[in-house]
Amino acid sequence: MNEQASMDIYAPHAWRHGTMVAGVRWKNPVGTASGTFQLAAVGNFYDVAQLGAVSTKGVSTVPWEGNPAPRTAESPAGTVNAVGLQNPGVDTYLVDELPKLKALGATVVTNVAGHCDDDYAQVVEKLADSPADMLEINVSCPNVSHGGMSVGTDPVALSHLIERLRKITDKPMVVKLTPNVTDIAGIARAAVESGADCLSMINTLVGMRIDIRTGEPIISNVTGGVSGPAVFPVGLACVWKVRQALPDIPIIGIGGIDSGEKALEYLYAGANAVEVGGAALVEPTAPLRVAHELELLLDARPELADKLAKGDTWR
Amino acid sequence: MTTASFIPTTAQATAAGYYPPRRTVEVTGVRQLAQGVFRLTFRDAFIAEHAKPAQFVNLYSHNPLHMSPRPFGVADVHGDEVAVIFAVVGYGTDEFSRMQAGDRIDVLGPLGKSYDVGADAHYVLVGGGLGIPPLLRAAQVLSAREDATVTTVFGYRNEHFADEFVAPFADRALAIDESEGNVITLLERIEHELRTGQRPVTILSCGPLQMLKAVSSWAANRDIACQFSLEERMGCGYGTCVVCVVDTVDGRQKVCVDGPVFTPEQLGWTE
Repeated sequence: MNEQASMDIYAPHAWRHGTMVAGVRWKNPVGTASGTFQLAAVGNFYDVAQLGAVSTKGVSTVPWEGNPAPRTAESPAGTVNAVGLQNPGVDTYLVDELPKLKALGATVVTNVAGHCDDDYAQVVEKLADSPADMLEINVSCPNVSHGGMSVGTDPVALSHLIERLRKITDKPMVVKLTPNVTDIAGIARAAVESGADCLSMINTLVGMRIDIRTGEPIISNVTGGVSGPAVFPVGLACVWKVRQALPDIPIIGIGGIDSGEKALEYLYAGANAVEVGGAALVEPTAPLRVAHELELLLDARPELADKLAKGDTWR
Repeated sequence: MTTASFIPTTAQATAAGYYPPRRTVEVTGVRQLAQGVFRLTFRDAFIAEHAKPAQFVNLYSHNPLHMSPRPFGVADVHGDEVAVIFAVVGYGTDEFSRMQAGDRIDVLGPLGKSYDVGADAHYVLVGGGLGIPPLLRAAQVLSAREDATVTTVFGYRNEHFADEFVAPFADRALAIDESEGNVITLLERIEHELRTGQRPVTILSCGPLQMLKAVSSWAANRDIACQFSLEERMGCGYGTCVVCVVDTVDGRQKVCVDGPVFTPEQLGWTE
């Protein structure tokens, strides 16, 4: 962090470079990544409606208590987390966080979690008439025992789920992909051919840490999801591969973004927008800072900015 | 690199009605208090003015390989200087222990809920080891009050690293190390005085879980109110990542923003 006089990120701002993501206009190309955003916490630090969008923590049919502590361990240039999607359930979300976010003027991507297809379907049914702008189907969480990543690593199971959800809602449906597969483009294709409007990637990579004083895993769940700058090149390569395979599908790039420059790399790889996750855990205002930094970079790249505004991508 | 800085300042944030951001501040000194135990002071007017007892600050390593916040309870405050006391247990604390006056460090805070010290009471501050520092801040705040008296009951493994800091603030300061006993030993010694004192007694405690449970049990048997400040591995320290949970009678709650202070009733420790 430097000390030079800084631009005021709290001042009202007319964003110069919006992006279109599956028909939804984001006022800038930077959002928050699901799992790292809770309005009750982040809203204390800045106006979250300034972001392109916020992707909220996964919601399930009923409240989930998640995994026991400890849930986190530091890893080189990142962390390993296994929260297990603790959340108050979709009914609470619909009367609490979602209306509060909409009242602030935020563009909301509601992340949907489940243990089985019925779970996902029930949550999507409840969200179908909600003010959520987009739904993000979390088929990539490595830290829940059923559903989650087990769906997102099997193209047949994924197609089955997405076809079913497509019949329930007309809302723009984002499918969040895991990098823990050998062929992410194949999984991406299955999602798109079954009705996904957009893809977001990447969710966390499976990892773990061991306490050498005890010889035991630090995290109660044994393994968790790695995020932070360490995963940046992995996420970037996933976006690149999927963009090469699927030239037209909107993509939200996620993974290790902590600066405007890194966000720009994702846009050059073919993303329509990006989300900041792990950086916000160590610097609450990181997503808004990245949005401002990216804006200056896009000022100098009018061709890219024009493509994004029209819903096109660099590649 | 971008040409402008969008790193916010405390003045900008508070003018807009928001919490202060992560910021870089000046280290004003580091002193070794005991084997492996250090006191670091830094200059931050906002934390110095606002830190309540049991609130904590995140400190961050300069090394980008070690990003996670290191949360420390605010120990005491003098002018615009804030003190934290910590043991070297890993990379981050080792780095902090080697800092010198004039170095820079990133901070966030103050964070978390404080002890409730609103009542007219005799506060008994029961701390164990590295749970003692937040109680120094409690003693400091309470020492300015005419409707409160303070007895400190500190348990150390060996060296009494915090006694000098609490002496100016406590009406009575008791301490013990493992060669003599533990905090329960001290509580037993002053039990009669606590029972016969003029003010109702409230225990504020912080320390190892085993000690907190022993204090909870001791107090419950004597109908003494308690508040405990807990510790847990944290991912963000400000409530968004949901990793530092504790099981309460109301479900899993976040130590960082729902706590770190909890009552035995909340924790289901009542017998």
